[in-house]
Amino acid sequence: MKTVKVAIIGLGKMGLLHASILKTMPNVEIISLCDKSSVLRKICKKLFKYAQVVDDIEKLAGLDINTVYVATPIPGHFPIVNAILSENIAKNVFVEKTLTSNWDKSIHLCELASKTQGSNMVGYMKRFAVTFSKAKNLLDQNVLGDLVSFEAYAFSSDFSNFPTSSKSKSRGGVLSDLGSHVIDLALWFFGDFNVESALSKSVDNIVAEDSVEFKVKKIGIDGTFHVSWCMDNYRMPNFGLSIIGSAGTIKVNDYSLDLKLKNGESRTWFKHDLNDYVRFLLGESEYYREDEAFVNSILNDNKVEPSFLTASKVDNVIDNVRKEVSTNEV
Amino acid sequence: MRSESGKLLLVGDNPFHGISHMSEDRARARGSEISSAEYAADLVSNSLKSGANGFMFSVSQNTLSALQIVCEKTGNESMELHAIVPYAYEYVRLATHSGTLGLGRKLASEILLSANISAIASGLKGVVTMDPVDLMKTYIKYEKNRISSHIGKKHKLTSILLHEVITDMVIALDLDWFVKSYIRFISKFGIKPGFETRNFSYLVNKFKEWKIDFSQIELVSSFNKIGFQMNPSKISCEEALTSIPECEVIAMSILAAGYIKLTEAADYIESLPNLKGLVVGVSKEKQALETFSFLRDKFAVKSNL
Repeated sequence: MKTVKVAIIGLGKMGLLHASILKTMPNVEIISLCDKSSVLRKICKKLFKYAQVVDDIEKLAGLDINTVYVATPIPGHFPIVNAILSENIAKNVFVEKTLTSNWDKSIHLCELASKTQGSNMVGYMKRFAVTFSKAKNLLDQNVLGDLVSFEAYAFSSDFSNFPTSSKSKSRGGVLSDLGSHVIDLALWFFGDFNVESALSKSVDNIVAEDSVEFKVKKIGIDGTFHVSWCMDNYRMPNFGLSIIGSAGTIKVNDYSLDLKLKNGESRTWFKHDLNDYVRFLLGESEYYREDEAFVNSILNDNKVEPSFLTASKVDNVIDNVRKEVSTNEV
Repeated sequence: MRSESGKLLLVGDNPFHGISHMSEDRARARGSEISSAEYAADLVSNSLKSGANGFMFSVSQNTLSALQIVCEKTGNESMELHAIVPYAYEYVRLATHSGTLGLGRKLASEILLSANISAIASGLKGVVTMDPVDLMKTYIKYEKNRISSHIGKKHKLTSILLHEVITDMVIALDLDWFVKSYIRFISKFGIKPGFETRNFSYLVNKFKEWKIDFSQIELVSSFNKIGFQMNPSKISCEEALTSIPECEVIAMSILAAGYIKLTEAADYIESLPNLKGLVVGVSKEKQALETFSFLRDKFAVKSNL
């Protein structure tokens, strides 16, 4: 049986979360960890006694790894993945969302990845949440008939009553950090769409992207997105969509799914009703399913979604929203 | 003090932090009143009067303020206090703003400002060695001191539990030495070491492998009729529970975040062997009175007040 031999780059909360989940999986070995911070490296040397802890991705080259997880802040994704694939450090790469900070860079990585023939995936874990996958299943069954419109939101209180400008840049702005999840869900549900208009707001009037609203269109379907990390009373980030079709509506979020059909039928599913079990629960159950899907794709030589190519479409939408915002500002 | 025949009934603090695992809209609809220390203290006091014999809480400033009011009001020195550390949400939010290293710096400055000499001394050792056990000891001393300064001398901590995020990372990463050090360290203070987990059967298997003495620890995990957050399956958690009669296991999420009625939830809990108690959060005075008087009658726990 093949073994997935992993290096994890970036030892913040997401890097440690993936390391912990992967450690519980059969056929997975954590070979190495990499971070620029000497403090984090020192602590991790004690926690991961079986793994090599290094300060530079070039030092991964001599190690026996076939898979890399990239869990650094977004601006680091492009140079790191570019080096991993160009220098043949590993052919299987998982990157936390977003793939890169713009579409051109993402396309470059897609081309590189297609040459390596390995598995590649981006961490849009909401696809693996039971409520959203149920919604996808209902849409695929054409339960709503012809789709007419949708409204999507991604809200958090991460920077509610907190100055954002310093941290906003390192996290890639609210569109990349938070909005990318719901953009990915919309692309998954409805297919490609065009950005029609966009407005961005900054809480402290410094150049920070704190709150963005934008409209999209594809033939027959209008969509609206609301994205903000400055909302009050959102203890955890919340994502959701309301979808209207000729036969009824779906409202879906992290916790539940409401289906109302024009023929009078209606039903609500909570997470509780949707077999939300995993072999090991850390954070939310979708993280385990996401890692399991990636590991299985390596073990079975299958493709996995969302791939780099699929995720690059999110970066394309974000680029187009930002272009619309800058057009409006001019 | 617990009745020998009955179960330990704890009031939990999740509603005070705006937590709902069923719907965040519902948590927001509760309004800001519930997060006020006075309101939370009244809910805890009413629960204690109605049959609860203790309080399980995350160590946040808001909960500590509520706890201080409860301890000042009640003459009940036998009220059990089960503290969960760290209050993960607060630290994740800090890490969001300042990064993982910024979080470490902020915590270090709070420990220095706390003027807890013992914590500072072991903290210095931890900083020099970057040893996770030294850092854990420093942090626990700091939190224990924070709690003591709010509960006064009349009351005593029953247990200190590691938050589920830490517990579950520790068992995932096979850190048996960390678990053993934690148990030894907490036990030294005459306090029961505990672990909150969302992976009950995985933890039980690991602890058996590591030869942990289950009679010395407290475990808190989800147990409910529909298997909500009982991973990898309801049956595996029930089997794990059956296998450790010597352990003090407390059930949480018994209502599956409001999905199950209290009567049904209590029937399921009653059917399980080896559960020593349960924890339930309440958000309204009427709910506090009805919930704990029902549970007291169901599980025949004598009121302490």
